[in-house]
Amino acid sequence: MSDINSHDPRTLGKSLCIITGASRGFGRALALQVVHLLEPGSVLLLVARSGAQLQEVKDELQNFRDEPERQIHCITADLSTKDGVEETVSVASQEAEKELDHVLLINNAGSLGKISSFVSFTDPKEVDSYMSFNVSSALALTAGILQMFPRRPGLRWTVVNVSSVYALEASPLWVLYCTAKAARTMMFKVLAEDEPNVKVLNYSPGPMETEMQEKVREITGTSVDVMACKDSAATLIKLIIDNEFPSGTHLDFFES
Amino acid sequence: MMSSAERTHLGRALCIITGASRGFGRATALDLSRIVQPGSVLVLVARSEGDLRALQAELFESEAGKAGVTVRVVVADVGEVRGLEDVVKASKEAFSPDMEHMILVNNAASLGDVSRLTKSFTDMAEVDSYLSLNISSALCLTARVLQAFPQRAGLRRTVVNITSLCAIQPFRSWVLYCTGKAGREMMFRVLAEEEPDVRVLNYSPGPLDTAMQREVRAKTADPELKESFASMFTHGQLLTCEESCAKMMKLLLEDSYTSGAHVDVFEL
Repeated sequence: MSDINSHDPRTLGKSLCIITGASRGFGRALALQVVHLLEPGSVLLLVARSGAQLQEVKDELQNFRDEPERQIHCITADLSTKDGVEETVSVASQEAEKELDHVLLINNAGSLGKISSFVSFTDPKEVDSYMSFNVSSALALTAGILQMFPRRPGLRWTVVNVSSVYALEASPLWVLYCTAKAARTMMFKVLAEDEPNVKVLNYSPGPMETEMQEKVREITGTSVDVMACKDSAATLIKLIIDNEFPSGTHLDFFES
Repeated sequence: MMSSAERTHLGRALCIITGASRGFGRATALDLSRIVQPGSVLVLVARSEGDLRALQAELFESEAGKAGVTVRVVVADVGEVRGLEDVVKASKEAFSPDMEHMILVNNAASLGDVSRLTKSFTDMAEVDSYLSLNISSALCLTARVLQAFPQRAGLRRTVVNITSLCAIQPFRSWVLYCTGKAGREMMFRVLAEEEPDVRVLNYSPGPLDTAMQREVRAKTADPELKESFASMFTHGQLLTCEESCAKMMKLLLEDSYTSGAHVDVFEL
């Protein structure tokens, strides 16, 4: 019988680990660290739009060790499209026959959106498109993967939503990002309510040195202190390994 | 000039109400008509022409109607660009320079399918469609209306978002509704931060005895939640739209709520 609060303090078990937006930034940093904690027989699926960048991450991962017992697959998919989501679910489902003891899905893919005044958002297609990638996609993907790996004894399930302080704090000019992050956090809280055997974590990584942060600097002309992605990634991974958080909670790097 | 504590009316106002044909939207139209001054215009928006026309006729015959509050109806789907354009066009036509208040009530919304759990929402198009109506349309309508009626001396601007406890608390088997409400509420909080001269009321009306509530009772997948709503109904614990709307009117008249804050009917 699976006990969602039991944990091996050192590894993530024989795991199917899926990371979206894995080609750079925080997603890449997670991949580089998670790989060390996967037991033999594990599968790491890296999803992003850029096949070339994903391959670079895969190459980096394979430089760490020659053990063939951990498989690393890259899925070049545009998660803003139904096809991209379905392709990802389909590839993941190929691992369904394995005797895995953990499925770990990290919903990291996301976009900044236009940083602009509230009143500038007069075009529903623009807003729809943003919500589709940043909200609908994460829901459809999570639901799809959950369906492929239903509850069974011995299977631990963890879902992470990469959130933001902007899920909780309203910030002028950030209406798209705030709205989507707030919507996502609630979405994953409902998931936690619906599926008691799935541990759900809304994790706000803090400001990191990424291309997204670079864009923020360009657009707003302001700079904040940033940390390396690997520092926040390490904190998130520890939270998952320790597995002590209440399902559905929203945790910030600075609180952990 | 009365202090806000003594206000008994909202001035000569242009009031735009979405989802006005029934339920809370309809109650809002009726209540607002009674607290705006003669020369005010209500712009009522919904998809159902029949119900809108009936409401228009009722308002025409009412005391407020006789005193000079007029009603324009806009048969439109705010989920379509054309619908947004029609609402703004009608509102601009209805506006007169001696109006001192513009009030937009974002009430139109849908429940989403509450008969299924989160893991069943594998169809991106279904979720897109839901978010489009419940998030995008409210953002774009509000943006367009605020652009059509920009800040100027002598014009108060109030934006109301009909929110829900579901915006701040997850409800089992209600993923779409909670997600939409949480997103919307944050959206209007951002507006409040950005535009200090716009009064933004995130009003949570409580469990109302409406068609939406009937759907809740009939379809909710979670047995405990379903039972608690059924029980509220049987024990007469649902609020009428009139009861809740009256509290919202009081908030608007007193005008002392914190812009952007979540205000619940049961706090009053």
